[in-house]
Amino acid sequence: MAVATRGTASNYLQRAPSPSGLADVLDVILDKGLVIDAYVRVSVIGIEVLTIDARIVIASVDTYLRFAEAVNRLDLSQTETAGIEELRDGGSAAKRKSEGAIEGAKEKIPGLKSDKERSR
Amino acid sequence: MAASSPTSTAVYVYGVVRADELPAVAAEGVAGTPVELLERDSLAALVSRLPGGDFRVKRRDLQRHLAVLEEAFGEATIVPCPFGTVVRSDDDVESVLLGERRDELLAAIKRLEGKVQLNVKATYDEEELLRELLQLNPELARLREATKSLGDAGYYEQIRLGELIAAVVAERGETDSRRLLDRLAGSAEDAVVEPAGEYVALKASFLVNRKKLRKFDDALDRLAGAEQPVMRIEVIGPLPPTAFAAAAAGT
Repeated sequence: MAVATRGTASNYLQRAPSPSGLADVLDVILDKGLVIDAYVRVSVIGIEVLTIDARIVIASVDTYLRFAEAVNRLDLSQTETAGIEELRDGGSAAKRKSEGAIEGAKEKIPGLKSDKERSR
Repeated sequence: MAASSPTSTAVYVYGVVRADELPAVAAEGVAGTPVELLERDSLAALVSRLPGGDFRVKRRDLQRHLAVLEEAFGEATIVPCPFGTVVRSDDDVESVLLGERRDELLAAIKRLEGKVQLNVKATYDEEELLRELLQLNPELARLREATKSLGDAGYYEQIRLGELIAAVVAERGETDSRRLLDRLAGSAEDAVVEPAGEYVALKASFLVNRKKLRKFDDALDRLAGAEQPVMRIEVIGPLPPTAFAAAAAGT
């Protein structure tokens, strides 16, 4: 997969010019596009089979147990030894940082519309 | 069905362009057949012949369909059709698609002209997200400690803890989804949000003017910087505007 990266946030922003994995390809071409009137259409064998990979179903006890396991697995020793005061400071610093970035985004994009305006 | 008859006339349709914008397509079509352009009154449909006999789509055909769309998109404004669009005959393509729906298609081409699709997916880092949620939610942290001390005996407590986390994660996902969408919407012409999977904050397609690509990318870059390390953002594109074709045609 050709991934171009730039800037300081490169680890957290991945750019790909074209989808490579099956799920990403399906995302682009399955059930998306101009639909042609059914009476001139012909069905093709095998399409359903190809779509199975794309659908994910969750919400069950299994899911809850997995969440619980994940949170139990979490190694908090690093933060626990850091001390609560430091944690608090770190948290608010991170918040300030993201707020600053968001304000910056607003300033730079004068055309930023609210959801209401966009849905019109 | 016509597709399985040896004398099949069925045609696979990839999409529609203005005839003068695209002279030919070199990419191989579905089932390895060449792609042709069927023209009528300045519009052209990209099609390929389906082999007779028992035709069955294969995984490789997904890539071929996409490759045809991408090649056409590189040179022209294309109104893409969904994967697996097969029509009975050339006549149907010319009269029903290019004929009856001519005005719709011309309007769709006009709306999509100069625009590209970008697929954005923001995924949580499980560990970072849970760590943050435990910090923000003392009740959750307390329950986690209590459950941990019970060990295997605490089966129902485990479920209860998991349920609570699932709810907190879902709530966080909704808030983040709205915020991310709002941050990016200003640089896009339109957006289609898709149901997000587990640990996915936002999955959406954006329609972006080519001239504003840099602006959109800058907004994404800032967003990714601000949301790290809890979130990681992936963007795919520029893609042909598949998610916006139906709406652009008014269907």
